[in-house]
Formats: sequence, C-alpha cells, structure tokens
Amino acid sequence: MIALKNIFKWYNTGINRTFILKDISLNVAEGEFISIMGPSGSGKSTLLHVIGLLDAPNEGSYSFMGENVLALKEKKRSEIFKTHIGFVFQAYHLIDELTVYENIETPLIYQNIKSSERKSMVADILDRFQIVGKKDLFPNQLSGGQQQLVGIARALIVHPKLILADEPTGNLNSKQGTEIMNLFKELNQEGVTIIQVTHSEKNAEYGSRIIELLDGRIVG
Amino acid sequence: MWRNYFKTSFRNLLKNKLYTGINIFGLAIGLSACLLIGLYIRHEMSYDTFNSNADRIVRLTMEYRQAGTVNTTATTGTKAGPQLTRTFPAIESYVRTFIKSNVVKNGDKMFDEPHILYADSLFFKIFTFPFIAGNTATALDAPDKMVITKSMAEKYFPEVKTMGYATALDKTLTCNDKDYKISGICNDVPDNSQIKFDFATAFSNLGNHAKGETWWTANWITYLLLHQEKDIPRLQSDITHYMNSTDVKADAGLTGNDYLNFHLEPLKKVHLYSNLPGFEPNGSIKIIYLFSIIAFLILLIASANYTNLSTAQSSERSAEIGMRKVLGASKRQVFIQFMTEAFLMGFLAAFLAIALSIFFIPLFNQITGIAFKSTIVLQPYPLLSLLGITLLISFLAGLYPSLILSGTQVMGILKKGFTFTGGKNWLRKSLIVVQFCISVFLIIYTLIILQQMNYMKSKNLGYDQSHLVVLPIGGKMMDQFKSLETAFGAVPGVESITASYDTPEFVEWGDGISAQDDKGTHDVSVNAMPVDLNFINTLGMHLVAGRDFQETDFAKQDTSNDGANYHNTYMINETLAKKLGWSAQEAIGKKIDKGVTGEVVGVVKDFNYSSLHDPIGPMVLFLQRELSRNFILRIQGNDIKGTVSRLEETWKQRVTDRPFNYHFLDDSYNKLYLSEDRSATLFSIAAVLAIILACLGLFGLSAFSTLQRTKEIGVRRVLGATMGNIVFLISKNFLQLVIVSIMIAIPLAWLAGRNWIQDYSYRIEINWLTFLLAGIAALIITFITVSFQAIRAAFSNPVKSLRSE
Repeated sequence: MIALKNIFKWYNTGINRTFILKDISLNVAEGEFISIMGPSGSGKSTLLHVIGLLDAPNEGSYSFMGENVLALKEKKRSEIFKTHIGFVFQAYHLIDELTVYENIETPLIYQNIKSSERKSMVADILDRFQIVGKKDLFPNQLSGGQQQLVGIARALIVHPKLILADEPTGNLNSKQGTEIMNLFKELNQEGVTIIQVTHSEKNAEYGSRIIELLDGRIVG
Repeated sequence: MWRNYFKTSFRNLLKNKLYTGINIFGLAIGLSACLLIGLYIRHEMSYDTFNSNADRIVRLTMEYRQAGTVNTTATTGTKAGPQLTRTFPAIESYVRTFIKSNVVKNGDKMFDEPHILYADSLFFKIFTFPFIAGNTATALDAPDKMVITKSMAEKYFPEVKTMGYATALDKTLTCNDKDYKISGICNDVPDNSQIKFDFATAFSNLGNHAKGETWWTANWITYLLLHQEKDIPRLQSDITHYMNSTDVKADAGLTGNDYLNFHLEPLKKVHLYSNLPGFEPNGSIKIIYLFSIIAFLILLIASANYTNLSTAQSSERSAEIGMRKVLGASKRQVFIQFMTEAFLMGFLAAFLAIALSIFFIPLFNQITGIAFKSTIVLQPYPLLSLLGITLLISFLAGLYPSLILSGTQVMGILKKGFTFTGGKNWLRKSLIVVQFCISVFLIIYTLIILQQMNYMKSKNLGYDQSHLVVLPIGGKMMDQFKSLETAFGAVPGVESITASYDTPEFVEWGDGISAQDDKGTHDVSVNAMPVDLNFINTLGMHLVAGRDFQETDFAKQDTSNDGANYHNTYMINETLAKKLGWSAQEAIGKKIDKGVTGEVVGVVKDFNYSSLHDPIGPMVLFLQRELSRNFILRIQGNDIKGTVSRLEETWKQRVTDRPFNYHFLDDSYNKLYLSEDRSATLFSIAAVLAIILACLGLFGLSAFSTLQRTKEIGVRRVLGATMGNIVFLISKNFLQLVIVSIMIAIPLAWLAGRNWIQDYSYRIEINWLTFLLAGIAALIITFITVSFQAIRAAFSNPVKSLRSE
C-alpha cells in the first residue's frame, strides 16, 4: 500500500542543514497496524505527515496504492488524501465552533456528499460510537476521551483505507487510552490500515509491527 | 455546504464579540456616513433637473465695465430678455424673475411671506412646476392673477384639504394692499430648485421700475428658453458680437472702453458651477468633491479595520483552517468560507447603517439645511447604492485575509503559536499609518477652518453687532415714519434708533460717484447706503473726522423749483477718502456727486459691510430716510426678551397692515457664513468619525497583540518589569506608527488649510501650535486606546498566564 524509498527531509538553518528524516525506506502492506516510536525530535510526526501527504519530503520517492504521489498535482493529491486517509491528533483538533454532529459531518461536505446521505452516514457513526446523545454538544463540553472519540469518528466517516494517528492517547488518562486503543484494534481487524505515533510501549504493543526512529533514521 | 459556511461564520462572529463589534460598528458608521453624504451629493447634483426643459434653459448673467471696473452679476436689466429674444431666432422665449417678501392677507390670516415670485407670463411654460388646479398657459397672463403652492393653499384656504384644491381657484388674496385672484395651484417647489417660491404673480406687479425696457438697473434674473441645447455656444458668441455693436452700445449709453455683455449659464450648471449667487447662495462643485473624498476616506478607514483585525486574528483561526484542510477542504473552499464571513459582516453592518442613517437624518438635515425625509434611505436608489458599496467593501476588505488564510501550508498552521509575519505586518502597518494620516489631516484641517470661522465671527467689524434689533418696515408705515421711529425709540430698554436701506452686515447697493479737486475729476465705483439720522451713534461706528448727519441737513434737500437746488450730505469711509487722495481731515467739506452733489460732512472708520471674503471697498453713506427698509435699534442687554415684547406691543398698536417681525443683526451676520458653517460642521464630524474609527481599529489590534503576548508579559512581570515597562512595550509600536502618520499629515494639512483660507480677504495666520496640538491629541488618544489593553494585561496575575499549556 505504502512504499517510501530513500526519503530525506531537512530544514536549512543558516548555513547548516538540519535533517529531520534521513534516508527512510518503508513499506506498509494493506491491513497492517504499525506503531512508530522514538524520542522527541526523532522525526516521528514528520514521517507521519509525509505519509499523510501533509508534508512533502525534500528527496526520495513515495508511492501510495501504486501511484507516485509526489509527482501528482495538488488537486489529485488532495483527492487521494480526501478519500483514503483519515487523521487523528493528540490535541483532537476539533473545530470549536462546530457541534459534535457538524464536526463529523465536515469531511463529507468537502467531498460534496448530498445532505440526506450525510445525515445517515453521521447517524451510523454516532450510533456505533455510542455518542448519539452528545451530537449537539460543542467540543469544549466534552471530556478529553469523548473528544478523541469524536476525532476518530470524524476520521472514519469517509471510510478511509488508512488512519494516521499522532499520539492519539497522549492527552488522555490510561482508562480512556485503553478504550481508544481497543477501538483501533477493532478497526484494524475490519481491514483498516493504521499507522500510529506513540511514546507508550504499552500502546505500541497493539500494533503488528513497531518501527523505531532515532535522529531521523529507522533503527529498528 | 453554504449552510455550514454560514453557521461557522455566525458562530465565529459571536465568539469574538469584541472583534465583531468593532468591525460591524465601524463599518456601519462608515457606510452610514457614506450613505448620508451620498444623499447630499445626489441632492446637489440634481438641482433643477426636474425641469423637463432643463437642457434648453439658460440663466443670463451680466458683465459690464464702467468707470474702469469690471463687474459681473447674475441679474440683468429689464431689456436683456425681450431684446435678445426679438433679435435671435435661436431663443424661443424669455422670463424675467424677482423674488421678494410681502405681506399676504386673507381675512384675518395675515403673514409676512418671504417668497413671492414676480415673473413674466411664460414662466410656467418654461419651467416645470406641475399644477394641481388651474391652467399653466393662462395662469400669469393678467396682472391680477396669482399662482400659489399647495401648502399655501392649505395655509390660507384650509377648506381645500376637504373640498379639493380646485375650490381655491378664483378666490382672492391680498398682497401689499392689492387684490389677486388665484389662477392656479402648483405642487410645492422641490428643495432642489434654484427658484423657490410660495406665490407667483405677474412681473409687471413689481411697479414702475419693472415696466419699460432698460439695459441697466440690473435687479432681475432673466432665463432664456432656447430651441436647442446645442445652440448655446453659437448664441453666446452672437450675443457678445451684438452687444459690442455701435448701435447697442449707444442704446446702452456706453462710451469709450466701457462695455456690456451677457453670458449664458446652462440651468443645470448654475447651482454647482456658477460663482454668481442668484436667488440663493450657490453650492459648490468643490464641496461636492471634498465630501466625496471624505466619504471615501471614512470607508477606507473602516475597511482597513476589517482587514487588519482579520489578519491579526489569523493566529486564532489557524487551528481551524489547518483542520479543515486536513479534513479535505480545498484552498478554494477555505477562501469561500472566509469571504462568506466578510460578506456576512458587511451585510450586518449595512443593516445597522440603514438604522443609523434613519436615526441621524434629522441631525443631518439640521447641518445641511436640506429637508430629507427619513424614508429617503429606504428608496431603491440609496438601497441599491448601499448594496453595491457593501459588496465592494466586503470583497476588498475580506480578500486579503481570505487569500492569506486559505493559501497557507497546512503544516505551518497546525503548529502552535503560528502567526503571519513578514509582508503582512507591513500591510497592517501601512494601513494604520494611512488611517491615522487621514484622521490627523482631518483634525488639523478642521481646526484651521474652525479658527477662521471663529476669527470671522469675533472680528471687530468696525461697529458693535451685539444687541442690535432689526425691524423690517414698508408699506403704509412709511407715511408715519417719523412718529413710529419716535415711538419705538421711546420703548423702555431701547437705547437708540436709526433706519437704513440695507443693514450694515451686508450692503448690496452699488453706485458710482465723481469728485473734483485740484488734481481733476475722479470717478469711483462705490457701495452706498441710504441712512437716517443717528446711524453712526446707534451702530457704534467711529468717526475719524467730521460729524454724523443732523436734522439741519434735511434743509439742504430742497425739492422746490423741480429740485434745482437739491443737495445732499455725505459721509464716506476711510477707503474712499484714500482712493480720492484725501486725508480724513481734507475730505471734510469737499464736494462729491452721486447723482446729486453734496458736501462730505464726516469720514467714518472702515467697517466690514460684506462677508470677510471681500476686502472693504469705498463706501458712501447718504441721508435719505424715505428709502429705509429697516429700523435698527440698539437695546440694553439685560432685558432683551422684555424689550422685544414691548416693541411688539407698540407695533400692534400702531401698525395694522404688517405683522411684527424682527431679527438680531448678529444672527443675520452669522448667516453670511451659513454654508461655511455647514461645511465646518461636516468636517468636524468627519474628523471625529475618522479618529474614532481609527482608534476602534487600534483598540482591537492592541487587544490581539496583548493576547498574543500574554505569556511574554507574564515572564517579564516575573522578571520584575513594572507596569510602565509593560505599557510601553505594548504601546511603543503603535505610537511609532502614529508619529509617522502625523509627520506625513502635517504638511498635507498645511497645504490644504492654506488653500482653504486663501478665499478670505481677512484671514488667520496658520499657527504651528495647531499642528502641535493636533499631533499631541492624536498621540494621547492613541496612547489611551492602546494602553487600556496593556494595563489590563499588566494587572493580571503573571502566574495565571504562565501556568496554562
């Protein structure tokens, strides 16, 4: 599904070049559940962003489902991104001005899905996550765990093939964290490919494969 | 999708109340100012256009040279209209007009009516004043006919309201003791007509001096109706040629280099482009341009606030935008969302602007002197203009923030504490500088105008204006002139009384004199003033030499023997004495000839007898009480009301054919500057609005900048910064910008102000203190605005701001 080859990513700081990613090559098959680990500043999040097409590498090649995405035009790339990839963040990044329902609905709006269809899709997912009763609340009226649940629901609403999660449990207590990780496992069993960045050994165990990063290189 | 945009926009507006409030309120003020100024400009531009013949009507103005001086007036003699119409086939017809006040009576209803029009019979064929009863073709074809307006019909014949206006036809009204038959009732004259009348009657009713035809005695305003508009330039050169022909010059009694010529002013250009006032003071195209610029500047300030606040707020919105992009929003979709917000804001402001405009229409009417109805705002034209401006402003003000916000890279935005830097700050700074430049410029300009106005109103005019009461007189009163004067003079509270033709604040009587001495004959164009005894004393003027008129001077006015031995006595002003080459002392006893020869008995210290636009010219006072149109009374200052009511009592006992009417001389003096006063008021308001709007923007910006720096302020406080340090930290950048603005505004305002006072013969010196004052005021206002936020931040507990995150 994902094939990264010799990916480099750097910033120019004055005359020096600071490397974030150094020569990363990585293959991910459909249905895998991968945990990326590593200390702060090792490039985990950047790698996730590169995979998620939010950031472009300076060097290297990247094919996503057989397509060389780096060569694609912005529009096509955003099309792939819209239909195949869902994002989950540590800080949830829900839109404060929108209700739970509207937050989940937003990606569908950007995919130009009809209103009636949107309604049933959102209703299904609210049902599945058992948050129907919270649909009219605003994010700041929810607990952290609930917010992350909404964040995941929002990522799932477009039926993505790939979910990218950047420390999804980082802001949660351990009970909430376990719940979220169980949810991920469930999704993975349904066939969704998941790549998560995490600090926690315990959470990393949920994955089928662990990738260790250090100073921008894959070390294990 | 639109629903989602609107919902988000609405909630965002609600969330940031300060920011939304500043934007909507500021834009609404800007739009409202624009709307009102637009109405005013449209009114001025529409002058006389309601006449269906407007394109073919011209006003005839006169230019002549006599005794070496060239004069121009909007008035002509009685001959110009008929003679030119007879001579040139391009002219279809003419009408000579005059408006004066007279007493109108119907039974016990008696009023002094200021707008009685005297016009030739074709008036209602040339101009378009639709009749609701009567026939326009025959309405003025006999001297005993009179046309009145709808409201006059209601005033003198109240029954027309129920029985119909036609019932007033053929009824009788008495004007100046002559009976008239109502021959037509026309709609009230629109505000944008240069001819404003309530009554209209035949030109011949003006009496002997309106009968017959003469090139001179130019008192009448003549309009010509041409067959075709395009004939105007050709006809103009034909008339000039004709007026220069030997026959016509001889007919007009012109010799040597003297000449008489007429100019054609297209009717629609008279109000804004002519420098010759006719029935009313003209507007000015310059003022129209100035106000258009002001409206534009105020809108610019308000829109700049929007742009600035939106970009400043971008950091607050970055997470949302980033997330939307992650969720699949395209650049276009984010752009549209922010534009939606701008348009929503614009329309809310527009609605508020309509409400504000309706609320301020009465005040606006008071300032402009135009009687707009509140509902005028709701008519299609203003509404459509407002819609257009709102769309444009929303688009322009929203464009930059929308482009910036939608065009940013997702990754950049998702990182914490992201702010836009570089180019955008430069734009924000420029907009602030532009805003304050405009504000400071308007403040200085307004201060200069106000200083000049104040100077004019308080200048020593050469006489004492205060506590002078003017009683207009005429008709049968003249028969008992002396006894009336004595009676009014004896009313308790009256210190002294005199009478005159013009009142001294505005002398219109033009004349010419010749004087002989050992250097030869001098011909001088002068202003002249027939006065009664006691004039110098009552008005508090000063004699440089000689004496005031006295009772014995009347003895010289010997009317026996057909006036062969008739002489007059004269007082002249210093300027005339100088012009004749005499010192004040030398002038006493000299003979001058003003149609009648007479001796100069006094030289009066120069006094201003016209607006301060004009320098003091040569002036002759002569004793001729029967020409008086006004009593002028100096009364004591301690019981003005009582004295006026006693005067009214005396009037009612002795005068039956005229209602009691009075005004104070200083009021009519101030009226000379009515249009300047209006402009000055509008400028003051514009300046205040500009500074308020600019400060609103700064207030919002400083709030954001303080918010962004909350943590920094916390750290600095912990490190021992004083409140002063913090306030200085926040204010510094803004104050720098305002100082730059002041530097730019001062020279511009100096140039503009100098240009404005150039129009006055008597003017202030522009004082550098004005600039200093305006600059310091702007700085203080800025400082207060900005430091309000800073002080709040400095007061907050630093531990609090540092704990979060």
